[in-house]
Amino acid sequence: MMIMISNILLVLCWIYIAFGIVGLFRFRNVYARLLTGSKIDTAAMITLLLALMLRSESWEFSAKLLVILLFIIVTTPVGSHIIARSAFDSGLPVKLIEEEPGLTDSDSEEGGK
Amino acid sequence: MMIITIYVIIAAIFLLTLKAAFGPTVWDRLLALNLISAKTVMLLTAYSVYTGDLRLLDISMSYVIVGFLGVALLSSFILRGGRQK
Repeated sequence: MMIMISNILLVLCWIYIAFGIVGLFRFRNVYARLLTGSKIDTAAMITLLLALMLRSESWEFSAKLLVILLFIIVTTPVGSHIIARSAFDSGLPVKLIEEEPGLTDSDSEEGGK
Repeated sequence: MMIITIYVIIAAIFLLTLKAAFGPTVWDRLLALNLISAKTVMLLTAYSVYTGDLRLLDISMSYVIVGFLGVALLSSFILRGGRQK
């Protein structure tokens, strides 16, 4: 039973990693890539560590994995926020409205050709 | 199951290395570095549980701290000094 739940969580971890990689290569804005990368990577880490905690036999493995999980939950969003703050303070513009027509024009031109 | 997980993580590290090499801006490379450190921790913990070796978990715990400090210091350095985009 434990192994079955662990297998389901491992499959969820693969799906999260695949979505994170696809989002990292498909989005064109830096902030969107930061959003999808950090969020999906944290979700993949939590599901993988929970699966490993269910799979391990002794309690020492589970205790150390729990410590690593708590530290990951604290530090990974902080690191992503530090990168986003550095990008915003250094003058990288957030062009959400002005970038959309350019994208559609370039896409339509490429599609037309 | 564990073997497939380890191979998926290795493929993700390879693609993120491509992203860190050809990223358009500096912050893309920082994000790729952050994700590579997280994927390294995942790989170390998965291999530790797969082989039943308890000492690798201490090494992965230190990798978490080193990755976070590296990303924080590089981001602060880029914010103060480097203006290349």
